[in-house]
Amino acid sequence: MSVSDMNDTAFKYSATNGIQHEEALLFEHAHDAAESIHLPGVKGDMPNALAVFARQNPAGIPGLSEPETVRHFVRLSQWNHGIETGFYPLGSCTMKYNPRVNEQVARLPGLAHIHPDQPEETVQGALELLYEVQQWLGEVSGFPHVTLQPAAGAHGELTGLMMIRACLDARGETERRTVLVPDSAHGTNPASAALCGMHTVELKSGPDGRIDLDVLKAHLNDGTAALMMTNPNTAGAFESDVKEICQLVHDAGGLVYGDGANLNALVGVARPGDMGIDCLHINVHKTFATPHGGGGPGAGPVAVNETLAPYMPVPRIVKDADAYALQGNVGTSVGSVLGSIGQSGVYMRANAYISAFGREHLHKIAQDAVLNANYILHRLKDAYHVPFDGVCKHECLLTDEIQNRHGVKTLDIAKQLIDLGFHPMTVYFPLIVHGAMLIEPTETESRETLDNFCDAMLEIAAQCEAGDTDALHEAPVKPFRRRLDETQAARKPVLVWPA
Amino acid sequence: MTISANVKYTKDHEWVRMDGDIATFGITDHAQEALGDIVFVELPEVGREVEAGEAYAVVESVKAVSDVYAPVAGEVIEVNEELEGEPEKVNTDAFGAGWIAKVKVIGDGPVELMTDDEYNTFLEE
Amino acid sequence: MRFLPHTDTDRSAMLESIGVSGIADLFSDIPDVFHLERGQLDIAEALSEAGIVRKFTKASEKNRNATNTRYFLGGGTYHHFVPAVVDYVISRGEFLTAYTPYQPEIAQGTLQALFEFQTMIARLTGMDVSNASMYEAATATAEAALMARRVSRKKRVVMAGSVNPRYRSVTANYLSRLDGEYEEVDMGCFGTDLDKVIAAIDAQTACVIVQYPDFYGSVYDLAPLREACDANQCLMVVAFSDVSAFALIESPGAMGADIAVGSGQSLGIPMAFGGPHLGLFTCKQKYLRQMPGRVCGLTKDADGKRGFVLTLSTREQHIRREKATSNICTNQGLMCTAAATYMTLMGDAGLSTVARHSAAALQLLVSQLPDHVTALEGAHYNETVLSFVDHQARQRFMAAAQADDIFAGIPLERFDVGQADLGEAGPSAENRHLLVATTEMIEEADIHDYLRVLEVSL
Repeated sequence: MSVSDMNDTAFKYSATNGIQHEEALLFEHAHDAAESIHLPGVKGDMPNALAVFARQNPAGIPGLSEPETVRHFVRLSQWNHGIETGFYPLGSCTMKYNPRVNEQVARLPGLAHIHPDQPEETVQGALELLYEVQQWLGEVSGFPHVTLQPAAGAHGELTGLMMIRACLDARGETERRTVLVPDSAHGTNPASAALCGMHTVELKSGPDGRIDLDVLKAHLNDGTAALMMTNPNTAGAFESDVKEICQLVHDAGGLVYGDGANLNALVGVARPGDMGIDCLHINVHKTFATPHGGGGPGAGPVAVNETLAPYMPVPRIVKDADAYALQGNVGTSVGSVLGSIGQSGVYMRANAYISAFGREHLHKIAQDAVLNANYILHRLKDAYHVPFDGVCKHECLLTDEIQNRHGVKTLDIAKQLIDLGFHPMTVYFPLIVHGAMLIEPTETESRETLDNFCDAMLEIAAQCEAGDTDALHEAPVKPFRRRLDETQAARKPVLVWPA
Repeated sequence: MTISANVKYTKDHEWVRMDGDIATFGITDHAQEALGDIVFVELPEVGREVEAGEAYAVVESVKAVSDVYAPVAGEVIEVNEELEGEPEKVNTDAFGAGWIAKVKVIGDGPVELMTDDEYNTFLEE
Repeated sequence: MRFLPHTDTDRSAMLESIGVSGIADLFSDIPDVFHLERGQLDIAEALSEAGIVRKFTKASEKNRNATNTRYFLGGGTYHHFVPAVVDYVISRGEFLTAYTPYQPEIAQGTLQALFEFQTMIARLTGMDVSNASMYEAATATAEAALMARRVSRKKRVVMAGSVNPRYRSVTANYLSRLDGEYEEVDMGCFGTDLDKVIAAIDAQTACVIVQYPDFYGSVYDLAPLREACDANQCLMVVAFSDVSAFALIESPGAMGADIAVGSGQSLGIPMAFGGPHLGLFTCKQKYLRQMPGRVCGLTKDADGKRGFVLTLSTREQHIRREKATSNICTNQGLMCTAAATYMTLMGDAGLSTVARHSAAALQLLVSQLPDHVTALEGAHYNETVLSFVDHQARQRFMAAAQADDIFAGIPLERFDVGQADLGEAGPSAENRHLLVATTEMIEEADIHDYLRVLEVSL
């Protein structure tokens, strides 16, 4: 057998799982622990005063030995797809490589094992790193002030709207309670507005997927509190009229909230703060490469202009001469939105990430992200329907219109990608097109990976054209589990294992 | 998809069956098809008074949620408690075992209602 | 730049393939006026990996940390032991670098870990169901108030004065833009007078929120409160800040809580200067569909094999939008995996040892206090308040302790505790209290050192 015989094209892309272990639930493994874990501390019985409150029945936490615990969770981990395992082109999620050195430095004892309420003079190093990244986030987004307190993007939206409301109230404009939200917006936007005691009115997108200035004008009035805009929007297009849009909203007495979920398209290239937007939340776990962790933690700092600065949450991290401090009482502040100064550990990683690029290289993030998205768009545009023309930014939007003629839907395409070794793109979002497929490759993918992904997408399109669609409806067949019955899960919810 | 001849229809795809001053409410077969597998029905409280056109129940599928509006005004006198355990009855028998609530009709007239033929035409449009 | 795979040759070839002459063409939709010049941003110059490690090590060494000192600090964040295996498991790329498990076929690892987490949290808190995390305890408390308003269809929220001031402040903040009354009940000196809370409940009350053990560490019976809630069809919300307590004392569920929320940071998650921590949210089964946040449920796949999915998503913002139970989207997923790993390593026996040692350390400390320092009366788990004769005495002690590598406690005024909460008035009463917490990381020798410094510093 020669080397060329082993040059199988199947190597290009396909999912394999090596040995697949079935793994029981913890509760099925459980046996009487041989010996409990050895713990330090003051050995003693329950204090007398507490005895009347003693727990009568043990909680029923299984307790496995260390080797069993490790094997259980390592096996579980092997059923997951992560950015370290393969391509993860989820639109609007910015799944980029998470540098390992960031994990290392965030775990330094002087950063990981410090208490939020120990004296400030004993945590100057931590405050210094947080203050620095706070300033950098402002610099990258184009705003003079940043609060690190919000714990995630949606929390940032809530915080931003609180500040907008406080600002309007301070102007005596307590009737302004309407938040305009484009129909392409993230679902968190209306939910955040509702939590802030405001209601949303949806703006129908124009034929190019962007905000339609006439529609916007028709909705601006004395009740307008704010416009929430995502730029680039969720169709991957830059809102080129952003300056006029902000001007219109400001002239009508409202403020402009920027949803920064898509900031990766602009890093180092252009700044939302320069475009007339009043405040912007940043998804640190997207743009600044902190790990998603299977759903979190994230961080949703909000950058604001001078108009909104007085209303920022407390405590704030401030620098006084060479010392850093937490500032508590600010009369105009909207108050606290979290029980701590923020997700410090996440910001340590973000600081390390920005440090690695520095001012010389930061723009390359946006440049390569946009290059990669346009490359995919270019390679797929003949085989898949492209709803909106023109260059895209960091993500490209396709639909299943062509494949639908062969009975194949977005969901089938997504599931087939799993069998071909890729995580699917974001499906059925944004809602403004039918059968949406939103692809965001990010800047950390090689041309080889992009080509493999495009080849896989073209192969699926070809299968549809050939009428060879059975496998598509059956997919995925390679992973540890096939399509799961979501109906049963929701009809008769079982959220805990019975005791 | 079926259309029952014995009931009246709304443009929001609800049906109502009148029996004296008692009205039975449900959603149409077309509505359940559009929603997909129903996983939960949020029922109104017995004794609640609903206006014609007011949302009195919520029907949920895995990925969609829809308010259900009252075709006529009345006081809720009975709800289909079987849907709490078997919401799929709305899928399998929308005009029968999948009924949602019964009300004693009071007050204002109904919202604009259609016959089965009219509803069929409405659906085709 | 080492995180970017493309060579300039790749870039040129790709641009050519797209059919544009340069990268600028791909940004031509951004008006010229907004384009930045290269290197214009006020950000430090790029560091090598070695440079990053040096920078962070230097900063880290400016801080004093718990690995080589003694921490008697609590107030919602605790220095419990974190086994090495916990950090190993959550460092695995498959857990660390996965997104929210929206494609369940290739996320069964995260999903099963979440299911196990939900089960163990429900068991530990004595509640029927748990969600897959909130940000942390303060926002979880606020969400509990919002949920109780939905469940009860009433709007008035009563908050006990002995709840952590930060949980109170965030909850008050969340509610302040919505209709409905919010009342904080002054519970007298260090918040032990539950009757005052009971008196504040009326028929319009959606829920009453208490903390157990409370902010000052007191443990007390919630049965009278449960009765008052039943009489007024009002929900009882129990908050907590160190969930390890429930391996030793009765759970919120056993005390009759309808909703129990709090911090899970004690379950294998480092203090990390305030986060990321773990918000726990649990409730009775019947309120499940009003619960905020993601949940993982059991189901089967197309071959009939057992599997897990995120479920009940119609409650969430991406479907219900304005009417969603919460706006929360990204949560603290990885911290659930950490807590699940921690609880598995501990088991009932280990968790109960943690709790026993934590309580025993406090007991040892308060039983030997010198005359001029007093601790709160009554049952306490691992936290209490030490009161000094005056501000100067407390400051002298804290400074002396710190010089001996002991962080002796948190000055109560750091929490903006009002004088009414302390049942005292006048400047002489101010700032002489110290919130003190113990965990299994405190050894007997540490308590002796603490007491010795107390003696000599006063």
